[in-house]
Amino acid sequence: MRANDAIAGGVIIAFAAAMIAITFTFPPFPGQRYGPSLFPQILGIGLIVCGLILVRRGIAARRAGGAWVELAPWARHGRPISNVLVVLGAILAYILLADRIGFVLTAAAILLILFLWFRVRPLAAVLGAIIAVLFVDWFFGWMFRVPLPLGVLPNSPSAALSNLLRTMF
Amino acid sequence: MDVFLKALPLVLETNVLLTILLSAMFGIVVGALPGLTATMATALLVPVTFFMPPVQALGAIVTVTAMAIFAGDIPAAMLRMPGTPASAAYTDESYRMAQKGQLDLNLGVNLVFSVLGGLVGAAVLIFLAPALAEFAISFSSFEYFWLACLGLTCAVFIATKDPLKGLVSLFIGLFIGCIGIDPAAGYPRFTFGTVVLLEGISFIPLLIGMFAVSEILRGVTTVDNAATVIKKSVGNVFAGIWGVMKRYQVNFWRGSAIGTVIGALPGAGADIAAWVSYALAKRFSKEPEKFGTGHIEGIVDSTSANNSALGSAWIPSLVFGIPGDSITAIVIGVLYMKNLNPGPTLFLENAHMIYAVFIIFILANLLMLPLGWAVIKSARHILNVPRNLLLPLILLACIVGSFAITNSINAVVIMLVGGVLGWIMEENGFPVAPVILGLVLGEMLEQNFMTSMIKADGEFLVFFSRPIAATLGVLTLVTWAWIIWKAVVPKRPQPA
Repeated sequence: MRANDAIAGGVIIAFAAAMIAITFTFPPFPGQRYGPSLFPQILGIGLIVCGLILVRRGIAARRAGGAWVELAPWARHGRPISNVLVVLGAILAYILLADRIGFVLTAAAILLILFLWFRVRPLAAVLGAIIAVLFVDWFFGWMFRVPLPLGVLPNSPSAALSNLLRTMF
Repeated sequence: MDVFLKALPLVLETNVLLTILLSAMFGIVVGALPGLTATMATALLVPVTFFMPPVQALGAIVTVTAMAIFAGDIPAAMLRMPGTPASAAYTDESYRMAQKGQLDLNLGVNLVFSVLGGLVGAAVLIFLAPALAEFAISFSSFEYFWLACLGLTCAVFIATKDPLKGLVSLFIGLFIGCIGIDPAAGYPRFTFGTVVLLEGISFIPLLIGMFAVSEILRGVTTVDNAATVIKKSVGNVFAGIWGVMKRYQVNFWRGSAIGTVIGALPGAGADIAAWVSYALAKRFSKEPEKFGTGHIEGIVDSTSANNSALGSAWIPSLVFGIPGDSITAIVIGVLYMKNLNPGPTLFLENAHMIYAVFIIFILANLLMLPLGWAVIKSARHILNVPRNLLLPLILLACIVGSFAITNSINAVVIMLVGGVLGWIMEENGFPVAPVILGLVLGEMLEQNFMTSMIKADGEFLVFFSRPIAATLGVLTLVTWAWIIWKAVVPKRPQPA
């Protein structure tokens, strides 16, 4: 999806105006002429100038027959759009669920759903999801001690395996 | 020489050597897969380097990028798809060569001249960076302010197709850098009262979002198209190389020189080096009519250029803290994380570490020869890995990599926002790389600006009171005036 430059310019101007408005709440730097608001204000003015030029350019393009919003070739079909939404949904689901359910189960479920959605054969999808999650759990969770959330599981697979090996030998 | 001998033991450790070998394999595979760039490889690698000592971490990045830029040439010749944007300049030429039955020669030339070009870039880095650091040691906040301005301008103006949109991206990056405690007065800006934003936006999750997640989003819009299956096998890639080396010696040196210069310019990296050197090769060739028909000459220039650009991009990054391209922007972020703040003092206080990185540069390029050969031989299998399996796996790596930096889910949120923002921006022609440059340079720029303003007490002419500062300042202002002129004055219609 490609919006006309005037739309992009408008969004940028609105954003920069809000940014400058916020800088007026910043306190002055005691004893100095310039405070923490100076640099963001310069950036804001720069963005507004760029935004205005973009608006001008966009209106010229519109007069020359350009559309307000031009769809990319892929965006004319349902399937690519739903592909993007599924990926975004997967990340969102991870953010919402990982702390509660735990890394292992959330990541495995998300991978499995993505694999199946992208038409990986079911057996390969299941195996791929399990192997990938176990690898990440070992590599980041075990080797680098990243505290991947446990959630409902009592222990991570790598830690469980290491405990098992320790009791056996 | 002394410092080299001190640096050598830092490299010759089992851990470091093993890291180099593993990152080399990772870089080659990522580079060879179309749609996965060298920057993306670096972004995905950073969370892992987070847990390593400095030399190991920097060595991993050096190796990954060198390998990825070379490996990008392989699918260019086999599939007509550049593995990384740095191979795009000569993708057609390579593919035509393959069609003419010269695939072996093409891959051999790409491999050998990538190695040689990479070595030239590394040599220039090794000789020039310490000398420049000695010169830069007397710089004050005025010089750094102008240098940062000039660097960012250069990044916007050389490295983007549409300077206006590049400038917007840069401002957005600088703004993101403003979030959190401000560097001069210590006031929390744009945090909306939250604790999460006090430390600012985490650089690496944002980076992973903008360079990797956005790439995944782009990738899934075409994932359902039938995959191209290659059945071609590769013979002896080293046959005929000697002939090419003798015949196109000038091209090799010219390509490496152009690559080195463009790499050292802030913001412009391997991809632009390849485009420029290819164009120049055609211009100065005795047989320009052969270009575009599967002719080796331009490939010698540009495949040397993109690898030589990698080394020299480290020069401004290490000496001034101004990134030479988007990969070294990441490197600067890593340097700060490791408490090795870039700048001339780096060469005084941590010279042995920097020289260890230099040694790894040479090592990585030499390692490219056997590993590159191996990957060319097995390219068929790597390129046939289905993308519908690959993209979800990369997504998992992105999520876990972002999380690993801060150990909090907020990092994944930043990654998601960065991914969507990067994707929308690229779809609308706003380049992503300036955002990262702005974010990396923002604090340094503002700090030097505020220090200079306070020193000057608002008198702007003081910014020009030192000779080098004045030169840099005038240069910056002239460039700005030129850009504004180009943007405001509408182009005259081209005669048909």
